[in-house]
Amino acid sequence: MATAVVARPVARPQARARDEEVLVWPDLVFIEFIAAMVFTITIFALSFLVNAPLLDQANADVTPNPSKAPWYLLNLQELLLHMNAAMAGIIIPTVWLGLMAAFPYFDQDKEGQGAYFSTENSVRITIVAAVVGVAGTWALILWDTGKLAQFAHDWFGLSGGDQFRFLESSRSIQTQLPWPDWSRHITYLPFDLKILDGTGSSGPTTFQKLDFPAWIVEQGIPIVAMVGMPALMIFAMWRLGWVVTRRDALLALFSGFVGAYGILTMVGTGFRGQGQELVWPWQLNPTEGIPGEH
Amino acid sequence: MAVEQPTKPTFADKLYDRMFHNYVWKSIFRTGYPNTPRNQMLVVATNLFLHLHPTRIHRTHVKVTHTYCLGGLSFFMFLGLTVTGILLMFYYVPSVDRAYLDIQTIQTQVQFGQLMRNMHRWMAHAMVILVFLHMMRVFYTGAYKPPREFNWVVGVILLVLTFLLSFTGYLLPWDQLAFWAITVGTNIAGSAPVLGPKSRFWLLGGFEVGPQALIRFYTLHVIGLPLLAAIFMAVHFWRIRRDGGLARPL
Repeated sequence: MATAVVARPVARPQARARDEEVLVWPDLVFIEFIAAMVFTITIFALSFLVNAPLLDQANADVTPNPSKAPWYLLNLQELLLHMNAAMAGIIIPTVWLGLMAAFPYFDQDKEGQGAYFSTENSVRITIVAAVVGVAGTWALILWDTGKLAQFAHDWFGLSGGDQFRFLESSRSIQTQLPWPDWSRHITYLPFDLKILDGTGSSGPTTFQKLDFPAWIVEQGIPIVAMVGMPALMIFAMWRLGWVVTRRDALLALFSGFVGAYGILTMVGTGFRGQGQELVWPWQLNPTEGIPGEH
Repeated sequence: MAVEQPTKPTFADKLYDRMFHNYVWKSIFRTGYPNTPRNQMLVVATNLFLHLHPTRIHRTHVKVTHTYCLGGLSFFMFLGLTVTGILLMFYYVPSVDRAYLDIQTIQTQVQFGQLMRNMHRWMAHAMVILVFLHMMRVFYTGAYKPPREFNWVVGVILLVLTFLLSFTGYLLPWDQLAFWAITVGTNIAGSAPVLGPKSRFWLLGGFEVGPQALIRFYTLHVIGLPLLAAIFMAVHFWRIRRDGGLARPL
């Protein structure tokens, strides 16, 4: 005898759905084995074909031009060319790693986990943010190396004359504007605080001085660019209605970072020739260095 | 009506029986051949290396395009680097007088020495890239979200350790590339506010890259950092299981 069963909506259990599961052996172990084999063979083949580089024996008297850090640090070395050394080399990476570690504590909502781009707008946020990161970083590099002004002049015949020389690069704001003399020696502490002296050798100065135009170029503009550009981008996406949740904001921030990080690494590796000049990859022309010359 | 007779065991059957159904084999592998679900689960659960896995896994997670095996491959690179690194250690002495010559000896005199060195270097690069891609995969699948917050933090620490492992190894060939890359790299560290010059001196054991720096980088590279990384990896893998395996959509 059949009993009438009333179909009731049953909440899908969040616990394990056994019928959706497969056995690790063989399904997963097989994939892992194949992946390991593919990599073993690839690494073997690469190692047969390409030898690890070995230059002349280390010599502290012979400086190669350009001298470069390992490639995964060239993003920081690229930043060093544009701003204060402590900021580029230590503060920015430390702050960023701290920020990244804090991601899950900022975005505690469980929505959008376990699948790629599962939230609304996530694809366009990712793409646009990555493009902004790439283009924005390129533009800043080109501006700060004076290439933008050079292109504007060479290609379009644009030249602002002497009163706009200060726009040529970040550094020319310091050098091309008529800063009053006092602005270069602002006393901000009436005593010498050695621990805040980045160079470590403060010499016989009695007061902590601030070179304001230099500070603008080395710290002010970089901070504004690196905090302001992502903030502005996320704000614009929020006004457009793309960024709604904290996850969306993080998607924009992280994708922008990946874009900027990639470009900085690429420029530092492939576009910095002798004297860290910005050149095309085929003009790198590194030298082994001349003995006795630093 | 003819009764079906059991087929006579062939030579291959007998050989198989001899090899796998004997006292010694059974003492090593307690479970039978993994051709039944029961044995397949037992083989994962009772094997030290396989028991990092659960015995069953959600079917979306065995799709290669979900993880691209990036985390596992990072670990695989770590293992390969350990093996090739140990082989290189047999020949390499971290002294300014010998380091460069030892690398040349490895490349020219040691059987498969050049191959070992090449593999060590390319796997080191691959590991940096794989770890970074793994981080991107975890981010874009939202796998850092609760309850996996802390494991993401452990992952960030492992990313830093990977960079440091690669960086400390970079000096060891003691050629111009190594020397000047580490000079540039440690100058970056030396620019830190307040602690910069001190930490650079501590790292190099002097004001310049020299014998002290070589022995420090070597020690960190072959024992200090790998141990630290192994501890954090153990925590990382343990937490994957404790936090319920890979993240799944709600």
